[in-house]
Amino acid sequence: MIIMGTFYWLATEAAMGEMTESAGGFGLNFDILEANLINLSIVIALVVYFGRGFLGKILSERQSAIATAIQEAEQRKRKAAEELAIEQQKLAQSQQEAQRIRDAAAVSAKAAKEEILARVAQEIQRLRETASQDTTSSQERAILELRQQVAAQAIKQVEAELSTKLGNNQTAQQQLVDRSIALLER
Amino acid sequence: MMHQSLNLLPLAKLEVGHHLYWQLGNLKIHGQVFITTWIVMGLLLIAAIAATRNIERIPKGIQNLMEYALEYVRDLAKNQIGEKEYRPWVPFVGTLFLFIFVANWSGALVPWKLIHLPEGELAAPTNDINTTVALALLVSLAYFYAGFRKRGLGYFAKYIEPTPILLPIAILEDFTKPLSLSFRLFGNILADELVVGVLVLLVPLFVPLPVMMLGLFTSAIQALVFATLAAAYIGEAMEGHGGEHEAH
Repeated sequence: MIIMGTFYWLATEAAMGEMTESAGGFGLNFDILEANLINLSIVIALVVYFGRGFLGKILSERQSAIATAIQEAEQRKRKAAEELAIEQQKLAQSQQEAQRIRDAAAVSAKAAKEEILARVAQEIQRLRETASQDTTSSQERAILELRQQVAAQAIKQVEAELSTKLGNNQTAQQQLVDRSIALLER
Repeated sequence: MMHQSLNLLPLAKLEVGHHLYWQLGNLKIHGQVFITTWIVMGLLLIAAIAATRNIERIPKGIQNLMEYALEYVRDLAKNQIGEKEYRPWVPFVGTLFLFIFVANWSGALVPWKLIHLPEGELAAPTNDINTTVALALLVSLAYFYAGFRKRGLGYFAKYIEPTPILLPIAILEDFTKPLSLSFRLFGNILADELVVGVLVLLVPLFVPLPVMMLGLFTSAIQALVFATLAAAYIGEAMEGHGGEHEAH
């Protein structure tokens, strides 16, 4: 029993020992050959040397390509801005021109309006004058007519009166004839 | 005899299948993967912040580099998904590409073995099948989401096109896609690190160099392959099969 126990103890001890040995903990291993350090450094040096050459060329080409692209784009932008400025200037000019034309149009419209108004006023004046002339002439005509009528009537009346007064009156007729002869003799 | 000689070689020191376990509730998680994943994430975050902190009109330095990376990823997504739909998927595909790329290269370039862990060893996060399976399942979710969002339940029509006979194969594809994605990445990275590790153990100096350079190349290609395939699956899910699409 004791032997068995000793065996057990030994076995566990051995196991423990193996475990502790294998579980050596974290650490650094400076065995240069085992860590393959020389080969790795050669490989790294080669990679860095060729990689730098190869990748460096690609990257610098890429960089310069981007730089030229950006430069071109900026140049285009500048040119476009210049063109924009020119076009804006032209726009301003034409707007000015338009304003000027509009002003001139307003002025000429005003002048035309005034001229037309003046002409119309003249026309109205003229029309009014002719109208008034017409009215005065028709008035005069009417007055003349009336006068003629009145004169005619007056003559008629006088003739009627004359015939009534002179027709049956020998003496009056005699007197009138005598007076008329006397008048002729003078 | 063979077995014994193998045991005598220092090859036995390669720690495959040893992990730094952390207990999280009922789960045992691989701590070394988390550590390197956080480091990779931190690197990417630092790069992103450094690139966007002081944005200039003409990009310089890190901003230029990250813009170049973004352009690369955007072109990748555009090529695979198509001009019309690619834009919302650029962040996903780009994250996959950048994370896998940096993770793979960290495994190939950073001397992780300088840091000694209680158990297991630090390596690329993509060295662990859990990472790659997680990424591949994310891709699966993404392309299902893309398909359903674009075509609604009509997405299922693609399983019986051009003929319902291919239905089993079409269903099988949904399983093989994440499987192949995850195993391709995991296998490549693990194999690369193992080869380098074995060579380093056999001949410590200079001999592993070609393999290491090849590993760098493979790592980059694998990141590209993973991101390209993810984008291709998403694009495929959205556009459906040609004939049926044209008929509409």
